[in-house]
This record gives sequence, C-alpha cells and structure tokens, in this order.
Amino acid sequence: MTASAGWTIHSIQPILRSLLALALAALALAPLLSANVYVQTLGVSACLFATMAMAFNLVYGYTGLLCFAQVAFLGIGGYTAAILVTRLGWSFWVAAPVGGLLAAIAGLVVAFSSLRLSRHSFGIATLAAALLCTIVARDWVSLTRGSMGIPGLPAPEIHLGSLDIVINNPYRFYGLSLIFAVGAIAFLHRIIHSRIGRIFVSIRENEPLAISQGIDPLRYKLLSVGLSAFVTGLCGALMVFNLTIVDPSILDFYYTETMLIMVVIGGPGHFWSVLVSSLVFSILPELLRFSTDLRLVLYGLLLIAAMLVFPKGIAGLLEKRGTDFWHKRLAAGRGQVS
Amino acid sequence: MDAEFALQLLVNGLTIGLIYALVASGLSLVFGILNIVNFAHGEFYMLGAMLAYFVAGTLGMSYWVTVVVVVLAAGAIGALLYDILLQRFEGSNVERGVLATLGLSMVLQNGAIFLFSTTPRLTRTEYSFKIWEFAGVTLPLTRLFAAVLSVIAFALTWWALQATQTGRAIRGVSQNREAALMVGIDPKRVSRIAVAAGIAFAGLAGAALAPVYSVHPTMGFAFVFKAFAIVIIGGLGNFQGAALAALLVGMVESFVGALASLVIADAITFATMLLVLLMRPEGLFGRGVRL
Repeated sequence: MTASAGWTIHSIQPILRSLLALALAALALAPLLSANVYVQTLGVSACLFATMAMAFNLVYGYTGLLCFAQVAFLGIGGYTAAILVTRLGWSFWVAAPVGGLLAAIAGLVVAFSSLRLSRHSFGIATLAAALLCTIVARDWVSLTRGSMGIPGLPAPEIHLGSLDIVINNPYRFYGLSLIFAVGAIAFLHRIIHSRIGRIFVSIRENEPLAISQGIDPLRYKLLSVGLSAFVTGLCGALMVFNLTIVDPSILDFYYTETMLIMVVIGGPGHFWSVLVSSLVFSILPELLRFSTDLRLVLYGLLLIAAMLVFPKGIAGLLEKRGTDFWHKRLAAGRGQVS
Repeated sequence: MDAEFALQLLVNGLTIGLIYALVASGLSLVFGILNIVNFAHGEFYMLGAMLAYFVAGTLGMSYWVTVVVVVLAAGAIGALLYDILLQRFEGSNVERGVLATLGLSMVLQNGAIFLFSTTPRLTRTEYSFKIWEFAGVTLPLTRLFAAVLSVIAFALTWWALQATQTGRAIRGVSQNREAALMVGIDPKRVSRIAVAAGIAFAGLAGAALAPVYSVHPTMGFAFVFKAFAIVIIGGLGNFQGAALAALLVGMVESFVGALASLVIADAITFATMLLVLLMRPEGLFGRGVRL
C-alpha cells in the first residue's frame, strides 16, 4: 500500500469489500444494459470461467489437490447434455444436471484410483483421464461424431404457466449464465465456509493432524473432487448450449491452463481474490487481444514467476503484507511498554 | 496372422518401446532425484527433434553428428534447467514443482508454435528411405538406429550407475539425500548431473525419432503423456520398471495398432495405467531397487 502507515489490506478492508461488491455488481449488469452482442457474449464466457475457476479453487486451493481433470469434467458435462438432448430428446434442464452428475462420477473414479498412492500420481492420473476423454470425443465417432462435433444444439426453453422464454440470443443466455454463476458460486461459498470447507482446509494444511481428529481424509477429498466436477460439468453443459455445438475442442488443454492461471495468480484457497482474478483473466485478454500462442507463453511465464516469487498468489502477497504490518505494530507496541 | 507379420510387429514394438523407455526413464531419473514430476519433459523431446531437424536438415550434417550435437546440447540445457529453475523447488511441496514445470512446458510449446508454426516437418538424413532386411523382416534404418541408440544409452547408464563413483552418488542421493550429504556427497552436483542426463535422454529420443516421425511443436505433448503412463505402470521412481513398462506399451501399440487401431492402443495404455493405480499402486513391477 502507500507510504502512509496504517494503509494495509486490513485497515481498509471494509471499504475494499464494498468497492469490490459495487464493481462486481456493475460488471454483472453491464452486459444486461449494453445492447452490444460482443459484450454479452464476453459476459457469458466470464460467468462460466469464473464458476469453473471457483470450482477448481475448491479442489486445488482449499483441499490442496492439483486436479488436471477439470477440463474432462467440462467435456463430460457438455457432451452428456448434448447427446441426451439431441439423441434422446431430453429437456436441457434435466440433461445438464445429468451431465454434471456423470462428470462427478468420473471424477470420483479417477480420484479414488489415484488418491490412495500419492499427490504425484493424482496429478498424472487426472491428466491421463483428461486425455482419455479427448480420445473418446475425437475417436468414438458413433457416440460423439468425432471431430465433426454435434452441431445444432437447440436453445433451452422455459415454460412456466403462460410464460414462454426461449433462450436463443446472447442477451438471454447472459441472464441464464449470470443466474447460474451467482448460484453456483454462492453454493461454493456456502461449502467453503461450512464445517466441510474447514475440514478441506485442515486436510490441505496437515493431513495427519486431520486424521488424528477422526477425519477420514479420503472421503472428504472425494467429496471435494465430486462437488467440483459437478459444478464444472454444469458449466460444460451451459457452454456447449451457448455455442450450439460441442466438439473435441472443449477438451483442449487451454481450458486447464486458463483455470490454473486464474486460481494460481489470484491465490489458491482465497475466495474473493480468485473471483476477481478469474474475471480479470477472462476480460483482459479480450481487450488486449493478441495471439493465443503468445498469450499461453505469457501464462506460462506468469506460472513460473508465481511459483518462484509468490506461490500463494496475489492474495498470499497481500496477506503477508497484512501480517507483516501487524508484526511491526506489535513489535512497536512492545517497544513502548519496555 | 503369419509368423513373418508377427515378427515384424514384434520388431516394430521393440524399437518404439525402446524409445519410450528412453523418455520414461529420463522422467524417472529426474523424479527419483528431485521428487519433481517434470511436466516439461516432453518439450525437451520436442526441442531435441527440432534441433535435429535444423542440424541435419538445414545445416546438412550427417546423422551421427546430429545425434551427438543434440545430446550434448540437451545435456547442457538440462544442467541449466537444474541451476536456473529446478533446484529452487527441491524440498518444496509437490504442486510447486509440477506447476513450475507445467509453466515451462507452456512457454516452450507455445513459443515453438509461435516461432515455427504447427506445420509438421520431415527430417531427411542420409539413412532416410533405406531399409535393413533380415529373415523376412524389413526395418527402416532410422528405426533400427533409434533402437540401437536407445540400447547404447541404457547400457552406458547402467554401467555408470553401477560402476562409477558419480553413478553410485546418484543412487545414494535418490535413496536418501541427508545420508548422502553426511558421507560427503554434494547433492547439488549430483542432481545437476542426473537432470542433465534425464534431459539428454529426452533430447536423444527426439533426435532419434526426428527422421522416423514428423517434427512439430506439439509432438512432445502427446508423447510425454505416454511416458507418464509408463512411469506409473512401471512404478513411480522405479528405473527398471519404467523401462519394462515402456517395452510393454511399445508392444501393445504395435500389435493393437496393426490389428485394430492406434486409438484403441492409446486407450488401452491409459486404461492400464488407471487399472494399475487401482490394483497395484506400487507399479506393475513392485518397488524393486529404487534406481
């Protein structure tokens, strides 16, 4: 903060909080007030990325499990919803949660098989699961139509009494995504700040200690992966119905890298800073607009720099500033007494 | 299927398996010594192949000169990699090492795409399009040399690990770092040598396969996934296990790829990995001697 003493993250936290809330509300409303389709489309992607990042934050930031299968959950959710709607004629509103459930089941299978060994094998197994999903999407042509994808996904419809809404334009889809994102993120917030969330953190911080308190870490790790996979699967369903097509590009490693950057730079295990960084990283690249290859080079450099200099992200840096400030304060106080 | 065809498939599987073994054991070597899974390992394989393409194709050097140049360059890059990046993550938590090497992989892969585009390139050497025939089995010379190079690299490494002071020091550090330090081994020096060797293996694999397959920036990505699967199947940190698993995967790829399709072979490899994790988490070949 500035040179004037006392201006730390802690002393201005209430102001910061309300500013943040205002900014978030303004940001959320902007696409609704704007007639610009581009802004609305960007809004949809920001909503979905923010939710994905928060779901990844739950499993990596809070529970300490570096899960590379998030993109697989996204793809499973998207493909399941698309196939159920186009082949079996299911309603989107049923197909999407089923997609989420299937993603959660896949997550549980992969996590159960690899978590018993080590954190290394969890990383590798989740990565392999993501690749296996790519193989299925690309090469199981009779199910997924291969790289042609499944085009022409119908717009979700709402029939409530006399109310008929077809969500067939970016404006309405933004509304849907916003409601979903706020709901999903609020749900994750509830989980994180509940007893379950505190158990997740205790497992991340000190697993043997958690065990000594009678906690079965495997069950809670599975719960964390399952919840995260479910939310990510829902994001996938929304994403493909927004694009009206699902193809293997939904399993691109690019999504994994973007989620990673959002959470790692924001500060794994922090709520609001990851939310902000997920919005920054979904909007900023659009504004700067340079080649994807260079963007990923930059992300890679950021990732290395973060691991070298601030492994706990921006939030970790700010928090450290805050504790340093209080340490100094306390030291100064003690000085006066003696 | 007649015997000749089967023999051909066997030889093909053996050659590709040997190259997989090279990459997987490099990965295993780095993991054993630093406890870091090097997610950028495939990128060094890619860089090796790229360098081979330029040395052999653009500069017109001979096959063997190219191999030597690439191996030396990869070894130097490996030592640099250790000094600049990896040594900072020794003893820190698992995720930091993984994410840092993942970041490195993103930089190298996308940087290569930006500089060279994703166009596949064919490396031509004096042995391209030449074959070796023996008992009805035909083998392109480039494949044969790839296999031979791999065997030589293994033999040299085996000898070095068993018979030289440095090799024994590497084994010591990977078994118990503190104990190694106590008996006067400098873990930093040993780690640098091990990482250099691991990256040199990846570079050698790249140089050996450059004339066999096409060279492009994303080649390392798919390849290293297979190396990961192999390392898990063989047992994490188990040098010989990784080599055996690699031969197995090469065979599966050759036979299933010929009789069904390559995609099914890939799927089998990854499914096997998940199964091994479920049934025998210590790896198919147990812990054995840890390097």
